[in-house]
Amino acid sequence: MAQVHIDGDNLVVVIEGMDKLWALKSSLTIPLANVRGATADPGMVKEPKGFRAPGAHLPGVIVAGTFHINGDRVFWDVRNPAKAVVIELADERYARLVLQVDDPRATVELVEGAARRS
Amino acid sequence: MGRPRGFDEAEVVRAAAALFAGRTYDGVSVDDLVTHLGVHRNSLYKTFGSKRGLYLAALRWYLEHEVHPLVASLGRAGDPVRAARLASEAGAGLDFLLLATVERAPVDAEVAAEVTSALHAVDGALGAVLHAGPDNGRRADDGGASSALATAFTAALLGLRLRAKAGGPDTGPDRAGAALAQRLDSTLSR
Repeated sequence: MAQVHIDGDNLVVVIEGMDKLWALKSSLTIPLANVRGATADPGMVKEPKGFRAPGAHLPGVIVAGTFHINGDRVFWDVRNPAKAVVIELADERYARLVLQVDDPRATVELVEGAARRS
Repeated sequence: MGRPRGFDEAEVVRAAAALFAGRTYDGVSVDDLVTHLGVHRNSLYKTFGSKRGLYLAALRWYLEHEVHPLVASLGRAGDPVRAARLASEAGAGLDFLLLATVERAPVDAEVAAEVTSALHAVDGALGAVLHAGPDNGRRADDGGASSALATAFTAALLGLRLRAKAGGPDTGPDRAGAALAQRLDSTLSR
């Protein structure tokens, strides 16, 4: 699970609980200017994820950590696909983040609204 | 980076407009988009940023390529009866505008701005049709009543599309539009 909030001109992602061990990351801070959009996407988890380095991938249980696909680096932290949100970035270490959040609809509105204003 | 996208962006936007014209924004999942548009998920995100980004691109494409030509022909219609017939013939061509107005405009300022400007364009075209009567000099300075009438005419024609979508042989939206237009025509040319 991840908590997503806005702090000034930044999008802040906090990885919660045991997931930070699997994802090898506890938080990410991204300038809103580099956030292109957010989408609730329960089907994302079925996509090929590419190769993992570093992180954990137990299919059907958890996808966490950094994955490389088609030359893009993608950060994953998803156990429950129904609650996955895809956040697309530009000019960042990660091309996109795939995060499990408590309320996908609210997170999408928060991120899209903040990215639009930045 | 720098790799070809492997799909025709304009074609994807056009196909997305067709999808969003038939179903609500919330009713179209990313799975639906990937299946119907033939684009890989990652390419979709890379190109449009989000589902909303693709939706906005589709809405803008639709307004430019379907609504603006309709506005142009409405403006040239010459009389309200012919304008009402053109709007009725547009049929499903109005559906994306109606859905965007009802579903997304209240919660998305950018959609609201696009939709409002399209509706104003329709008002303007229908206003020109209503003003084309023999005594347009008198109506030009009526404190905004004629532009209010154009707005009401737009609302009636779009509302008739909603009635048509509900179906039923007794609805008769074509006849309703023609009846309203004839009444407007005879009132205006009096």
